Amino acid sequence: MIETVRFEWFVIPFLFGMAFVLGYCLIGMIRVIHELPQCDRKRFYLSLINPKIIWKNLRDIFCNCLLHIPLWRRNRLLGYMHMSIAFGWFLLIVIGHIQVLCFIPGRIHTFYHAIFFNYFVEETAPSTLGAVLAFGMDFSLLLILSGIGLAMFKRVASLLFGMRRTTRPSLLDRVGLYSLWAIFPLRLLSEGFVAHVSGGSFLTLPLNWVFRQFLSNPEHMVPTWWAYSIALCIFMCVLPFTRYMHIPAEMLLIPVRNAGIKIRHPRKGFARLEIYSCPGCGVCIDACPMSVKKANIKDTTVYLNRQLRRGNEKRIAEISDKCLLCGKCTALCQVGCQGPELRVAQRSLRRYGINQSYAGFSVEPFKEAVRGGRKVLYFAGCMTQLTPSIRRATESVLRKAGVPYTVMDPDGRLCCGRPMMMAGRLDQARALMEKNREIILASGCDTLLLSCPICYRVFAQEYDLPGIRVVHHSVFFEEMAASGALAHLESSQRPLVYHDPCELGRGCGIYDEPRALLGRLGRVVEAEKHHAESICCGGSLGSLSLGFDKRKDMTLNALRNLTVEDPETIVTACPLCLSTFDRYADRPVKDIAEVIDEAV
Amino acid sequence: MKESVVIIGGGVAGMETAASLLSLGYAPILVEQSDHLGGHVASWHRLFPDMTPASVVVDGLKARLDGATVFLETGIQFINRLKDGYNVMLTNGVSILAKAIVLATGFNLFEARKKEEYGYGIYDRVISNRDLEAWFSSGIDDRVPDQPRSLGFVHCVGSRDVKAGNTQCSKVCCITAIKQAIEMKERFPDAEIYCFYMDLRLFGKKYEDFYINAQRDYGIHFIRGRVSEVAETIDGRVQVKAEDTLTGHPVRVTLDLLVLMSGIVCNPDIASVTKNVTLERDEDGFLRSRDNISSITESPRRGIFYAGTCTGPKTVPETLAEARSAALNVHQFLLSSAE
Amino acid sequence: MDFGFKLSPSSAVNLDRVDLTLYRKVEAKAPDIRTCIGCGSCTATCTAGPFSGMSVRQVILDIQRGRLALAAKKLDACMLCGKCTMVCPRGINTRALILAVCENYRKEDAK
Repeated sequence: MIETVRFEWFVIPFLFGMAFVLGYCLIGMIRVIHELPQCDRKRFYLSLINPKIIWKNLRDIFCNCLLHIPLWRRNRLLGYMHMSIAFGWFLLIVIGHIQVLCFIPGRIHTFYHAIFFNYFVEETAPSTLGAVLAFGMDFSLLLILSGIGLAMFKRVASLLFGMRRTTRPSLLDRVGLYSLWAIFPLRLLSEGFVAHVSGGSFLTLPLNWVFRQFLSNPEHMVPTWWAYSIALCIFMCVLPFTRYMHIPAEMLLIPVRNAGIKIRHPRKGFARLEIYSCPGCGVCIDACPMSVKKANIKDTTVYLNRQLRRGNEKRIAEISDKCLLCGKCTALCQVGCQGPELRVAQRSLRRYGINQSYAGFSVEPFKEAVRGGRKVLYFAGCMTQLTPSIRRATESVLRKAGVPYTVMDPDGRLCCGRPMMMAGRLDQARALMEKNREIILASGCDTLLLSCPICYRVFAQEYDLPGIRVVHHSVFFEEMAASGALAHLESSQRPLVYHDPCELGRGCGIYDEPRALLGRLGRVVEAEKHHAESICCGGSLGSLSLGFDKRKDMTLNALRNLTVEDPETIVTACPLCLSTFDRYADRPVKDIAEVIDEAV
Repeated sequence: MKESVVIIGGGVAGMETAASLLSLGYAPILVEQSDHLGGHVASWHRLFPDMTPASVVVDGLKARLDGATVFLETGIQFINRLKDGYNVMLTNGVSILAKAIVLATGFNLFEARKKEEYGYGIYDRVISNRDLEAWFSSGIDDRVPDQPRSLGFVHCVGSRDVKAGNTQCSKVCCITAIKQAIEMKERFPDAEIYCFYMDLRLFGKKYEDFYINAQRDYGIHFIRGRVSEVAETIDGRVQVKAEDTLTGHPVRVTLDLLVLMSGIVCNPDIASVTKNVTLERDEDGFLRSRDNISSITESPRRGIFYAGTCTGPKTVPETLAEARSAALNVHQFLLSSAE
Repeated sequence: MDFGFKLSPSSAVNLDRVDLTLYRKVEAKAPDIRTCIGCGSCTATCTAGPFSGMSVRQVILDIQRGRLALAAKKLDACMLCGKCTMVCPRGINTRALILAVCENYRKEDAK
């Protein structure tokens, strides 16, 4: 191969676009890292020299950003489509650079030679290396084109891709989309025109042959290269203002997340990174339990991210206040964008005229009541008062197993603090939590038993209780059953379905113990969507603005999901789920404690 | 040949309709799915405002049914609309051709178990108004203690409550609560009796006198505050939490027995009856009449009439009056269709 | 001359002159507030309970009668647990109501 010409004007748009997007990303990266709090920044830098984390970062970036492995798991067509474009383009760039290195190594610094290689060279003598590289290029191009074809098809038949609904693209999104679609056919066209000079492979050579039947003047090919370059320029210039910003953002998100950084400020730092990493794919729309009603579709996480980018405060507040905080969008998000955490962070921005001090609340009577109590401290929780069967059953099972316990809130005048946290009022929540903590520590217990997963989550994840084991009753009872402390467990073949409460399942990762426990006394069947994909009952306290009448459809949808295998009883592990389902279910709904109590 | 009229439901509404139709010269066919006539009233003890024994009312109605065909333990398999009437198929295989049908399917009592926070079915000392009325008749119920020193009545259980799925007032529970409170005070004169209400709705004949008597002669305490939850004490008694809204302070009391006034809700069996012949429901779940003022005993459909609580909560005298009105509607309808 | 009594302002609520600005703002966020029948279930079930004086029913009345400082004092004990919302027979979103009062209350307006 020899170089025919060193420079052509058509590379200018490309260079401009690339300078713009690279500059933008660099500034963005510096900004995000600078916005992190001091301790988080330090942590991040340390992670960059930690070999284990470095390896994880590389592996995650390769698997997530290029191969899109999580998307494959969701739906194969969707995964192939994204992988083909991402990985294909990656290959094009890499192989392009290898071509430059091999044949015109002096030009490696210009950037544009690797992209427009075929224009600037002439193949003097065919070589194996040249053929192999050309094959690689054509193959990658074909890969991308197949993906683009699928993408066009997806716009009309998204159901085939496992998505009932997709995001409505904004105007700039569309510009980015069409320019992206245009880039690769234009590249094929351009390379097709010059393949008789530069050499090519199975795609470009036949195309070139076709063209030479119609065209005699080689000057005709330059406009296609201009078009190619301009398409690239347009795409790169709009990229920072569209969903495609997720391409560079995700590459920074992965290392920052792997360093263990969490969302602190609602808009800056890690939050900004997550907001821009959102690829706008819309998987969260189908995931969201509220999307049963069309009116709620515009309140899903993908639209929250869009509004956050636009700074539309009114919509941000509406979307943030409505969310049930069930976490299903996070569970299914390909990028790991944390919907609930982002929204709670937005809620914490609000300023209030009344800030609770709980000055009149004295912990002394509570401390007196639990001092010198038993080793197991049972916190029934405020919601349990409205579902007394749960507390009764839990205490009954404890008694039958001979486990001595003290009830921390016999009169129910304590709240764990999580509802306040979910409302974004973290200072007030901390004040409440400090009071509870005093009482727990005064009791001298070594186990804190909860029958409500909302309480369990906050006690396990946010409280500082040294030397005290925090355990949910389903896990505790399963341990008791496994160790034989629960004698004579009556078992039958009655089909039972277990509903994974959002706070226990996605919130704390507890899926198996309740099922194991239930398996000892009945046949456990699964809902259609279960474990991390279970559907929220709709009763969640996470929503600040959803009224009672707006939740019925969500509950009915969740019940439909639970009863696909026609179980006899629906078993839950959360008092809120219990009372929500019991209102509309056509079959008995029981807490896991009640089911165990009946069987012991 | 006397004209047949099918009456679905053998409660007091159905019985009165049948009796009235007999006196007008028709051949009513009374279809009742349980094994006895008299419906809910038959299981009650005494009726307000004069403390008339329910059995007197029911027996009086039964005595007037000579000549009517009565099917017990029978349901409706389907109703088909014909050009000139209806074909009613009963579950016992009998098929009837009738020009007119009267629906007297009645009501259901709200399942108190659904208000889990009140502990019905969980705590021993919590019963419903129906349970208490049955105890008045039979004297047998383990949950009623021998010598209760304190009793409570909770109004509006399953009524005026969007969480219970029924936003309507059940009309008769307030007067029933006062009636039952007085009856308990007569049996246990030393007991303290509390009625927890949101509003007191005492609209009927001599109802206000009941209230005055309850206050003056029986010393029953009325507390304006809806009970939010009920807890059990160590010795098996129940403790009730409410706000005494008139003083603005929370109130708590331990009781030996708590009676929940379950409300009147629509009878779900109606769905199977009206499957083939669509009879609209009103927003409150009860059957919708042609007009709620001038034609409450007529359905929107030609030849189908309503009597009693199937269109909404009502008292026994109102039910009987509607039953007679429905019978008259049938009579006028059959006369006009014969022309 | 000392007549032995003071002239103190009447404790009657003058509906002609009550300041409903806070109430209107809360109404916009939680329109169901209008359907409150004052049954008291919210107060009865409140976790903050008897000693704190917290009562959603009374807070609603207070802001409807312009007694804002009293409402603020009661709200100091609210733990936002949500039990009041669960028991309300009219289906009012009391939690949203409480947050709306907390958000829009300004000490300067309180009497």
